[in-house]
Amino acid sequence: MSGVAPRPGDHHLAHTDEAKLFERLSRSNLVTTWKWYLGVGIAGAVLLWGVIVFMYMALTGMGVTGYNKPVFWGLYEASLVFWIGLSHSGTLISAILRLTHATWRAPVLRGAEAMTAFTLMVGGLIPIIHLGRNWRVYYALPYPSSRELWPNMRSPLMWDAMAITTYLIGSLTFLYVGMIPDLALLRDKSAGWRRKFYSALSLGFRGTHAQWRRYHVASTLFAILIIPIAVSVHSIVSWDFAMAKVPGWHSTIFAPYFVVGAIFSGIAGVVIVMAILRKAFRLESVLTPLHFDNLGKLLCTMTLLWGYFYFTEFLTVWYNRNPEEWEVFSSYAGPYLPLFLTMIVCNFVIPFPMLCLKRVRRSVSLILVPAISIVIGMYAERLLIVIPSLARRNDPFIWANYFPTWVEFSVMAGAAAMFVLLYMLFAKFFPIMAISDIKERLFHTTDRTIGGTTVESIARVEGEEEAHA
Amino acid sequence: MSTVIVGLFEGVETAARAGRALKGLSLPAGSVTTISAVPLPDGAVVTDPAPIRFPRIAIAGWFVGAAAGLGLSLATYMLYPLVTGGKTIVSVPPTLIITYEVAMLGALLGTLFGGGREMGLLRFPPKAIHDPRIHDGKIALCARVEGDEQARRAIEAMREAGGIEVRAEEGEL
Amino acid sequence: MKHTWAMAIDLDRCTGCGACVVACNAENNIPVIGEAEAGKNRLMHWIRVNRYWEGEFPEAQAVYLPIPCMQCERAPCELVCPVYATYHNEDGLNAMVYNRCIGTRYCANNCPYSVRVFNWYDYKWEKPLDEQLSPDLTVRSRGVMEKCTFCIQRIRRAKETAAEEGREIRDGDVVPACVQTCPPGALLFGDLSDPHSEITRKLKDPRRFRLMEHLGTDPRVVYLKRQKGAGR
Repeated sequence: MSGVAPRPGDHHLAHTDEAKLFERLSRSNLVTTWKWYLGVGIAGAVLLWGVIVFMYMALTGMGVTGYNKPVFWGLYEASLVFWIGLSHSGTLISAILRLTHATWRAPVLRGAEAMTAFTLMVGGLIPIIHLGRNWRVYYALPYPSSRELWPNMRSPLMWDAMAITTYLIGSLTFLYVGMIPDLALLRDKSAGWRRKFYSALSLGFRGTHAQWRRYHVASTLFAILIIPIAVSVHSIVSWDFAMAKVPGWHSTIFAPYFVVGAIFSGIAGVVIVMAILRKAFRLESVLTPLHFDNLGKLLCTMTLLWGYFYFTEFLTVWYNRNPEEWEVFSSYAGPYLPLFLTMIVCNFVIPFPMLCLKRVRRSVSLILVPAISIVIGMYAERLLIVIPSLARRNDPFIWANYFPTWVEFSVMAGAAAMFVLLYMLFAKFFPIMAISDIKERLFHTTDRTIGGTTVESIARVEGEEEAHA
Repeated sequence: MSTVIVGLFEGVETAARAGRALKGLSLPAGSVTTISAVPLPDGAVVTDPAPIRFPRIAIAGWFVGAAAGLGLSLATYMLYPLVTGGKTIVSVPPTLIITYEVAMLGALLGTLFGGGREMGLLRFPPKAIHDPRIHDGKIALCARVEGDEQARRAIEAMREAGGIEVRAEEGEL
Repeated sequence: MKHTWAMAIDLDRCTGCGACVVACNAENNIPVIGEAEAGKNRLMHWIRVNRYWEGEFPEAQAVYLPIPCMQCERAPCELVCPVYATYHNEDGLNAMVYNRCIGTRYCANNCPYSVRVFNWYDYKWEKPLDEQLSPDLTVRSRGVMEKCTFCIQRIRRAKETAAEEGREIRDGDVVPACVQTCPPGALLFGDLSDPHSEITRKLKDPRRFRLMEHLGTDPRVVYLKRQKGAGR
């Protein structure tokens, strides 16, 4: 705001150069370097490789994977749970932090919501990838066919289909509606094809008082709705396992255990993505150590929660020594020891002590260590849930071990590349920073002198929510 | 299509001063609004007299979705009934799950479309009043006026309050 | 007339010869997958003969347990198929519909007896082996689950013959391939709803038990316990 001297008691937006702020926050849209092209190229190439290998698998048969009897589910299904789990990142940051009025969420919002949407897209593809006859996946759709057959709603896989569809639509809606004011901003600041693009996408949002009031109510409503949807989605994914008569799967703890694990891996994912965005788009002044500190505290809480759930499950099995379940857990000391140790070390032993230290949480490079460790540990945990229970199930005569082949690794690498590619394209064409939310926070922030010290004071408008209907 | 007086203001305090001055003109409720890059608290510059109605559509969407989910479950059970696992043909717990999911989807879509409609999105009126300079920290105060006398008084009130570039435009508020 | 097909397996008589497995493979167009694939635990046997060892050398004894599909009344596999590719038919059998299966393999995960097998490839019968294929049932494509059906093609054939002749099915009309072939006569098949059938009489034996009964699957395959005695 050139030409106006800041007065004491002024909100922070008043002495922010908004044009410069826009340029700083929109660097991902305004500046393209060779690094972006390289990243997109590599991600695209790996994705293409994954697609080719998938088609090879579809045409030749699932035999090219490492699946066998009795381990009929393996890397693909564990990855499904992993990717859907990562999608709980945005829901927590946007929805829960919104409803609890945690204003620090503003710079992290958009990146986390985008992560939710794209991890869901990847996770939603895996139920199609893992089928023996992928080209017949439409049999699971409820539509009137000449066969007069309908899908079986008693199957947890159909609950999966409904839940993931709802969550995908919900998270895309949440992401898109959250972007509308920023898309309006981009529309007003661009020209040519970009202006047409953003004009269409911003749907004519102008920022009138009436629009803002309703926008606020809509955002709050979305936040209220998406949280139970997210909880139900991962509960339903866990019920793919909990409903089965497989020792080690048939446990009532699975629903909350999976939800906690999802939020856990989701926050770790957000930390990693934010660290990358910060470096790539020079957002050091916006994504401050405070944000990583807060994310780190959340992550520390989740480490404890996850550890608690895992210990509870282990305790009940150890105490009862139910023979079927005990064989499964004994295999953790046998062929699955590397996976088990990876999980315990990466999910608890490394992260918990590190995240207790403020020095670690406030350093972006240091906090990446527990975050990456948690992502690895949670992947190991998913594998450890799926594979040993099948490999050491009811009848000892047919016990067998499982190891994925190059086919499964390639297809899953392609899936990961798809996420990276989608994210990079999103950051290029859409606002990766929630500019309006950041500005709103600055607008509500003033410096307040209390006695001999000056603190940041953030205004919260109470009673606005009661103004509807 | 009406005459709208648009004034650009440096900050929320000057805009509020103009808003108070405009109150003296006794314009009908809902004819004065702000256009801003950040949401302003209700009553800071202008108040919005219209109640927010669309949450009802969200709730209605929930019920429509619940009915759809229930219908979907019952239809898939009963149109071609097959015994699976010794369970009854109409199995209650899965029905509850499907009903819940589709109900949430209904509420979501109700919020989206109801909210979008009430915000006036997707309408793209050709002469909607807008000023891109709001993204540089300015606040646009717009007053719909009838007749030249009201227009002149509104322009005067805004200029006195410290408005930069107060002008009359033909367009929709 | 409603049938209650069941199978009785007398463990006193089973020698573990495996003739039932061979017969089933021949009757039901089951491919021979080869040594390499067998090493990867992908055997396609619809009935398998489990072997357990009891005791230590030199008193070690092998215990044989033939396991076909249990045709559970409360089959866990039927519940979890998203497309109704497996369901409970009027004869009380667990029916498998190959052309409906999309290959989620959830049913195989849910079977505690692990009797379900999956077609990992499109298996080929090179000439002249294709001439051994039975025309009464299909050759399954890759990506499809399959399992023991109690030789449903033989049940259907017996029903058709009985209908043509204007009578009910008699006990002994339906003989699945494994039952037909078992040299020591350990396997017996019949209709439990017929009070005079051989199987109804046989299953009055106090040695009767069912596998993994605590899981509540209510299987239709009943075993008769092996008695330990002199010379056994």
